[in-house]
Amino acid sequence: MSPEIVITGMGTVLPCGNGLEAAREAWRTRTPAFATLPETLGEGRGAACTAFSFAGIIPPMVARRLDRGTRFAWVAVHQALAQAGLDAKACGERLAVAAGTMTGGSEATEPFIRPYLDKGPEAASPMIFPNCVAISIVGQISMGFGIKGPSLVQLQRENSTLDALDQACRWLRQGRADAALLVGTDALFPLLVELLKGSRLTCRHGDPLVGSRRGYLPGEGAQAFLLETRQRALARSAPILGSLRIAQRASNDPSSTGRGRALCLAAESLAFRPEAWVGGATGHPILDDLEQVVREAHPDWPDPAHPKTLWGEFGGSGGQLLAAALLDPARKVLVTAPSSGGSQIALALEKDGA
Amino acid sequence: MRRVAVTGLGFVSSLGLDTRSTWARVLAGESGIRPLRFSSFPGEAAQIAAEVDLGGRPRTTRRQSFCELISLMALGEALAQSGATLDRFNPARIGTFLAAATSGLPAGEGYVLDRLQGRRGHPTEPIFQTPTTLTDAVARCVGSEGPRSTIMNACSSSALAIGQAWEYLAEGDLDFAVAGGAEGLCRTTFGGFSCLKAVDTEPCRPFSADRAGLNLGEGAVLLALEPLEDARARGAEILAEVVGYGATMDAHHATAPHPEGHGAARAMRLAMEVARLAPTDIDLVSAHATATPANDGAEAKAILSALGSHAAHVSVTASKSQFGHTLGAAGAVGAALAILAMRDHVVSPTLRLEHPDPECPLDCTPLVPRERSVRAALVNAFAFGGNNLCLALRAWEGR
Repeated sequence: MSPEIVITGMGTVLPCGNGLEAAREAWRTRTPAFATLPETLGEGRGAACTAFSFAGIIPPMVARRLDRGTRFAWVAVHQALAQAGLDAKACGERLAVAAGTMTGGSEATEPFIRPYLDKGPEAASPMIFPNCVAISIVGQISMGFGIKGPSLVQLQRENSTLDALDQACRWLRQGRADAALLVGTDALFPLLVELLKGSRLTCRHGDPLVGSRRGYLPGEGAQAFLLETRQRALARSAPILGSLRIAQRASNDPSSTGRGRALCLAAESLAFRPEAWVGGATGHPILDDLEQVVREAHPDWPDPAHPKTLWGEFGGSGGQLLAAALLDPARKVLVTAPSSGGSQIALALEKDGA
Repeated sequence: MRRVAVTGLGFVSSLGLDTRSTWARVLAGESGIRPLRFSSFPGEAAQIAAEVDLGGRPRTTRRQSFCELISLMALGEALAQSGATLDRFNPARIGTFLAAATSGLPAGEGYVLDRLQGRRGHPTEPIFQTPTTLTDAVARCVGSEGPRSTIMNACSSSALAIGQAWEYLAEGDLDFAVAGGAEGLCRTTFGGFSCLKAVDTEPCRPFSADRAGLNLGEGAVLLALEPLEDARARGAEILAEVVGYGATMDAHHATAPHPEGHGAARAMRLAMEVARLAPTDIDLVSAHATATPANDGAEAKAILSALGSHAAHVSVTASKSQFGHTLGAAGAVGAALAILAMRDHVVSPTLRLEHPDPECPLDCTPLVPRERSVRAALVNAFAFGGNNLCLALRAWEGR
């Protein structure tokens, strides 16, 4: 039997504010964080981390080399390690990092390529280019915290971070690492907001609402989770926030019925009766329709709650769903993460005696 | 753990559109690095790269990126060679594991250029041409309803993709998988490596004393993988076994390797440990060897450290001397050359290695191929952020 994977630390940078208490309160009250975006992040509405601060956590000389998404991730990792009581440097070669992002790398690509195209190669910045590669997120975190174990950055549209979770669990089960950091991070930037709007994916009026078919609003943020086997967590008396199981299925039938069925199969394969359900629907019909297939198949399950209608789409590429599940007072939480392509993912989160 | 066999290899490169023609030209000592013909990078000092010549066929369409096109070509070859009847598999037990390529990046660049020039642009193209689109396209062709993994580890991505596929198959979670990567040229990567002063204006010279940087390249390599016992039962030709991988981080620098190659050496040791191989079992290292001054020196130290005194008996080859640096596909290209070396008992040469660097005291197979048996090989792939990956492969000896 494969070892049980538990979460022993969590960190969040969300549009509702820094840290777990801000996140817990925003989730409890279901308060949306949407507002007109600062000009530097794009034109229109979205959920921006306007209160974000890295003061005292990222050295200023280091911070100037990091893009926004990496700064978010760094602060979330700092919080997760603190809660878990783990000295990353001491763990070094036995600590893994698995990250997911939809926008990582792209944030730096615009400021890199715009001057290159406008003025020629001499305008290209060697300071910016390394951040055009998503692995730089993990590279910077590994340098900042002294982490030397295996690492990856996974891309899977809306579910990148949950895809990375699967790999992190495998590394733990295989004994390649004693602990693994799971990190989801996304940042808003003007080109992204413009492209989403131009592709008619975002809602033009009001806040997103599941079932409205109006579209979603973009968001940003990061979440970090420290994963360990239960045995190791108990051995070092770490706090156990919950235990995790993950299932994924893809479909070659691109219709919402086909992909929704894949999501349904993933959720059912967990053989889990949830007390609460965190769903990845956003207000855009693509994802809403997939989740609807699961709802229709399981009318006896509780109604899903939707973090992306509070904190925006992307904003951690699935990490925000796991964060919401941990923040929820229910003991057994199902997470369904529909995706506009690729794998459909479901998670079962069970908390110890909460 | 189940043993995992490679039963299909698809190879689209600057030297040919299939494995046979590519391998024949590699063994003939040819290089795919030539003056640019299909891409234009005005103002760049380097005007050479290893481009794929599709023989007049359109390289992109509104609906298909270049990376998707060459991936599907490589996939077709890998599946044909494998001979697997895909519809006999449960679709949920077929997986797809790919490196994230530049893929739709040219579409994004095109949009920015349109906007700079006052045009409206097509916002849907960069939004929908993501690297995930490529993985989905390959998965649909294979009929995969299992995991679809897109890895963004830059230059070590496709090596990890093969490693992931191995993990799933070895642990019994899948019955068939395709894994690898594809890469195409684009302004962001060409301009990026150029502004880092990492690009040589002449064809690159890995492990040479006068090496001066890399050349960029294009290509796609996809492997068909399945449990060894299943492959044997259906009488498939077994090209090699994937036996493990090692993954580490340097935690040292954003773009440069650790100068002593500590993280890289650890990845190589881990790969051998997982694969249950001793240094004396290794006959070949398919090196990352980008031909930048920092990288090759650090990698040579890593090889010497990981293999100890046996390093003197190991052949090393640098695929970037033929194919340039194919970034996300580089690990899979290195794996392809190692697989072919094991199959045909001949190691591909490191081209233009006329003045070996005394700081890299290894047998780097200079200039001409070397006939020798290869029992097991390590494939190195290192990336930005100090991300190190080493794949372990073993020759199939019929048991």
